[in-house]
Amino acid sequence: MSAREAMIKRMKDLPSTHLLGTGTPMCAGCGGLEALHEVYDVLGENSVFVNAAGCMTLLSVYPFTPFRGSWLYTAMASAPAGAQGVRDALDILLEKKRVTKAEDLEVAVLTGDGAAYGMGLSATSGAIERNLDFLYLCYDNEGYGNTGQQYSGATPHAAKTATSGGPRGFAGYKKDLFAIWVAHKPAYVATVVGAEPLDLARKIEKAKQLTGPRLIIALAPCPPGWGYDPKDSVDIGRLAVRTGVWPLKEYVDGKVVHTKIPHPRRPVEEYLSKQGRFAHLFAPKRNEALLAQLQAKVDAYWAQVSE
Amino acid sequence: MYRIRFHGRGGQGMKTASRMLGSAFFAEGFEVQDAPRYGAERRGAPIFAYVRADRAPINERGIIRQPDLVIVADDSLVAVPAAGVLGGMTSDTVLLINSHESPDTWRHRLNAQSTILVLPEPFEPEDHAELPYAGAACAGAAAQLLGVIPWASMEQALRHELAELAPAVIETNVTRARTAFERMEPHRGCVREGRAVSAADYVPPNWVEVPFEAARISAPAIHAPATSVEVKTGLWRTLRPVIDYDRCSRCWWVCSSFCPDSAINVDAAGRPEIDYDHCKGCMICVAQCPPHAIETIPEHDAQAAEGGKE
Repeated sequence: MSAREAMIKRMKDLPSTHLLGTGTPMCAGCGGLEALHEVYDVLGENSVFVNAAGCMTLLSVYPFTPFRGSWLYTAMASAPAGAQGVRDALDILLEKKRVTKAEDLEVAVLTGDGAAYGMGLSATSGAIERNLDFLYLCYDNEGYGNTGQQYSGATPHAAKTATSGGPRGFAGYKKDLFAIWVAHKPAYVATVVGAEPLDLARKIEKAKQLTGPRLIIALAPCPPGWGYDPKDSVDIGRLAVRTGVWPLKEYVDGKVVHTKIPHPRRPVEEYLSKQGRFAHLFAPKRNEALLAQLQAKVDAYWAQVSE
Repeated sequence: MYRIRFHGRGGQGMKTASRMLGSAFFAEGFEVQDAPRYGAERRGAPIFAYVRADRAPINERGIIRQPDLVIVADDSLVAVPAAGVLGGMTSDTVLLINSHESPDTWRHRLNAQSTILVLPEPFEPEDHAELPYAGAACAGAAAQLLGVIPWASMEQALRHELAELAPAVIETNVTRARTAFERMEPHRGCVREGRAVSAADYVPPNWVEVPFEAARISAPAIHAPATSVEVKTGLWRTLRPVIDYDRCSRCWWVCSSFCPDSAINVDAAGRPEIDYDHCKGCMICVAQCPPHAIETIPEHDAQAAEGGKE
């Protein structure tokens, strides 16, 4: 463990003043912004964000930005390619001694799940293949939130979206992006959630010490998209972890390690019943079969996790 | 042609209100346009929605600049320049505000010649879950003020637009809309149709000509950090979290880490401070504070207690 990582051991070590500027146009109670502000406190201001189209495109709308460093906007599928360009430019400047090592910047890709799980996957795969030295942060609100929560490759089974109605909700299954990224054998992959800030901070600290592709998926509870009161964002994020729906884990040195194994694991229903997007599972009549199926899927996941 | 403009905050059901009213007009045989304005706005931010209705085909498009009826679901928006509540209002415009204040107070405050009405039951929920009902109340009141939509059509439109919601929620919406409709009876039909406008009368705005420059000059580069602090998202707030420092345990991190907007900072002594210029009122801090040291106060009451400073 490096000196920097050792800095964040306890809740009291978490930053108490914050780097990300206030006044962003994200929704009140945004779980993605919560994760980003926690990430940014650890990542620091010597960073460049390459942002694919999505909710967070709206973070930097001229002449306003919450970042303390540069921000570059790309099309939805191409943020990792944009990051390659920025990294290359920095490397050239370093080589020409026009920037010093101390002035070098961390290049961070910021995209939603629409880009990360879907149309940006090819560009990400290429960037990992080229061993690009960058950090990728995906805020995963499990749908195309910016346009009204249409389903994406990250939408969970049975969730209602703007494009998945009816009594059974979304017919597909959430893509295992963690496994897809891990299959590329990058330097680091982790899942985080803003509701677990200590776990998040330690992972970002760790990623910061490494070079090469480092990819982070932050579950981003979304009040309008998931259908709950903004004040419940943290509770819902925490329930995602405690019910086992969102496993907190990391891949480093060729191994996947779970960083917070829920004991005891709470019934998945506790997580589902708090969100409007799953209301059809409970009313007008409980859909016992579908609820059992969702629980069984989580149980099967944890059955193969060795402690 | 009737031109109606709704002003509210994201989450108050303004888009739905415009759809309800649009559907009701349609059921009465009108040609109708209804549309929300899509932008960078989010839940809590100022939202606009527009309805045009006419017996003849509608050739106008776009946002409504000269409304016959303006409906404001949240009176704190009147003072927000970005909300543009008063834009294009004339002495013929009817302004309906959801407010605790009297029409006279508003007339005096705005120095306006317009007809000003307030919703008979000011609607200020203490819970976010109640917010969307404001839309139903506004739509119900609007139908009465227009005088050309009977309650039966309004109710049918409301049930049609809300069909996907739980039955109890639909009934609450119907009740709110109906109450507002009935209480507005004395003002039935006070909204007059605006004149048809012709493209020939269009006066273009005072455009500023910007020469075509090289990208280095014209590209919108931002040269200072964290300029977003200039955007006062505190204006989105309908509820205000207030810390009781006697109960605050100086935990150091909970409210400050969980606040998505970086709007709570902790000083060296462990004392948290909420930045009300930017707090959007999500109330995560209230829900998470371990000793329950943060209270929820309706923003309206908090501002009144401050002596109308804002």
